[in-house]
Amino acid sequence: MADFQNIIDTLIEGDQEKLLSLAQSALDEGISAKEILEKGLMAGMDIVGEKMEAEDMFIPEVLMCARAMTAVINNLLKPLLAAGDVSAAGKVIIGTVKGDLHDIGKNLVAMMLESAGFEVYNLGADILPDKYVEEIKDKNADILCMSALLTTTMPMMKVTIDAVSEAGLRDQVKVMIGGAPVSQDFAEQIGADGYASDAGSAIRLAKEIMKR
Amino acid sequence: MTKICSNQYAMNSPHAQKLSDDQSQKLYWACLEILEHTGVRMYEQEALDLLKKAGAVVTDGNRVRIPSGLVEKAFSTVPKSVTLCDRNGNPAIRAGGYRSYFGTGSDCLHILDHRTGEYRDSVLQDIVEGITLCDALEHIDFAMCMFLPSDVQQDIADRYQMEAMLNNTTKPVIFVTTEFSGAVDAVKMAEIVAGGERELKQNPFTACYINVTTGLRHNKEALQKLLYLSDKGIPLTYIPSAQGGVTAPVTVAATMAVNNAGVLAGLVLSQLKREGAPYIFPGWGGNMLDMKTTVQPYCDPEKRAQAIDFAHYLGMPSFSLAGCSESKLVDQQAAAEAALSLFTDALFGGNLVHDVGYLESGLCGSLPQLVICDEILSWLEAFMKGVDVSDESLALDIIDEVGPDGQHINSDHTLKNYKKRWYPQLFERASYNVWQRKGSKDLGQRATEHVDTILAEHKVEPLPKDVANAVHAIVEKPTA
Ligand code: B1M
Repeated sequence: MADFQNIIDTLIEGDQEKLLSLAQSALDEGISAKEILEKGLMAGMDIVGEKMEAEDMFIPEVLMCARAMTAVINNLLKPLLAAGDVSAAGKVIIGTVKGDLHDIGKNLVAMMLESAGFEVYNLGADILPDKYVEEIKDKNADILCMSALLTTTMPMMKVTIDAVSEAGLRDQVKVMIGGAPVSQDFAEQIGADGYASDAGSAIRLAKEIMKR
Repeated sequence: MTKICSNQYAMNSPHAQKLSDDQSQKLYWACLEILEHTGVRMYEQEALDLLKKAGAVVTDGNRVRIPSGLVEKAFSTVPKSVTLCDRNGNPAIRAGGYRSYFGTGSDCLHILDHRTGEYRDSVLQDIVEGITLCDALEHIDFAMCMFLPSDVQQDIADRYQMEAMLNNTTKPVIFVTTEFSGAVDAVKMAEIVAGGERELKQNPFTACYINVTTGLRHNKEALQKLLYLSDKGIPLTYIPSAQGGVTAPVTVAATMAVNNAGVLAGLVLSQLKREGAPYIFPGWGGNMLDMKTTVQPYCDPEKRAQAIDFAHYLGMPSFSLAGCSESKLVDQQAAAEAALSLFTDALFGGNLVHDVGYLESGLCGSLPQLVICDEILSWLEAFMKGVDVSDESLALDIIDEVGPDGQHINSDHTLKNYKKRWYPQLFERASYNVWQRKGSKDLGQRATEHVDTILAEHKVEPLPKDVANAVHAIVEKPTA
């Protein structure tokens, strides 16, 4: 019987070296890479997410856990996993809308989504609607995330959604929005699929949206 | 009788310092090294051209390395104190040295409605009432717009904010705009009120608050505003906002070095554009991101005071921040954070202290909270006065005359002097019974009533009708 609890605890501690050696021993014992991924690493990251939302963990610690997990996947598990076992949770295009330079929150959300297993393309700040459209096409994205911190740039979210629709991509991609002045009401008004008030809920929403 | 007494030294006020001059010097050298060695990015061609012509090195399109000599030269032409007038052109604020003046912040998304207790999006009328309150409150020296008006056309909301400030206070106003065109229109409005371009330049009653992405990245709008206003001779703040742990290293010193390198770069540009252009330094330093909540805290103790010290060291006026709170309510936390932050800035001598009355880390405002801050400022004004230890104030003759057994309550000396002591307006001192008789109200309730009284009674000196109309015409026809 593999000691998944030990793997989980080590992941939560963010101890990359120890995590690598525990995963290696588990593999040596004959446990499948898929099981290590699901019952060890993913289970651990779920707890990390909960702890973060409960303000029980600091953001740099969360990112360290994610880094430790990625190291195990890339160095040990990837060659052993069947295609499909480790497919990304989804492909995300994220950026701050045209006219807006606030990118700190957006970058945090991008990093957190990445830690949660999403394949994230972070376009930056001050992004034109056409650029989003181009990238959605190019990366064949599942989710479009937009951030706005200014009341004056919120309307660009609607303009961008319209551009996505005009390009015929609205059925392919779900739209999530966030940022201090943005609200659930606003999301509904402009026809977005969801709103997240912080990085933790952005991850939950993205996972939930992928199941829709 | 001759009254000569040698070697008398009087402290005129309490005073504090957090950075020694040696530390400030080290920080200054660090900024110079960043400018010369690492360089900054500037996203505006005119800025690049000016700097290049003056001897800076531009590589990679827009990465500028600025020699220390340019910074030193800028210090020889920039004014060390900035005078802001009232709307009628009379000097009202002399920002510099250790003189402190207090004012509100700008652009809160929400208001805690003092009439209903509701937390809601703010509207234009909230700005009108907030600025009226600023006009009335004795210890509020300048006004910023406080709120975002959700009920006007959003892309020109800043024009409505400026109009509301000009109409509802004679105190100096500091404006914030998103785009460059908004700043151009704000200046146009101010020039109309002052009676012309030259009049505004001579007796500026307004200044512009400019934020910059970080000390190492200067966005186009910020640079456009800097150059335009410097040319016009209108005072401005130039405040890069790198956040420790995210867009700068997490230590206070490193974040300050990054941001102040940017402040010095802005200073050089302002003086290259026009020697003698007024320029104001930031009075807080070492922003952080709270790594648990991802909020940028306004009342963080560790970002306070050292930037004021640094500005003093460089002999520059500062624009600092206090009277603000992370609390979501007008509650104990809000009062404690407001009092602590106002206290530190007064003690260290920040010059233009803004954000008074902010809640929710800059996202919400409250009129009763502003009134409570006014009371705190009244207390601080009394506290910051030095003690008069003179023959007259010692009153030895009266002590002797009344002796151990007499009373002072009905003496002429008491009658002459008791009003010179401080009395609260809102803080309750009465006995329990009297407090009960007055309705057992807490500070928040008393402040709320005080807001209503002021709004019902205070009459703002209006702008002449034709001036107000001309100002409004700009709102109707904004610069594109
Ligand atoms: C699905 O997708 C998603 C999901 C969730 C998403 C998401 C996307 N995006 C965000 N989230 C959510 O998750 C994140 C993590 O939990 C959260 O992200 P946040 O971004 O909210 O949180 C960050 C982690 C930390 N918070 C922040 O980084 C923002 C903090 C405040 C203080 C702020 C900052 C730091 C800055 N600013 Co600006 N700034 C303010 C902000 C006040 C505030 N309390 O919010 C605000 C937003 N700014 C304002 C202003 C006025 C301005 N700013 C400006 C500039 C700047 C800086 C460049 C100096 C700097 C940004 C630096 C940067 N690289 O991002 C100017 C505009 C520049 C421009 N064109 O964009 C300027 C106009 C000032 C000027 N005239 O120079 C005000 C709003 C005005 C308005 N009209 O709405 C403001 C509310 C402050 C205030 N009270 O005055 C959630 O919102």
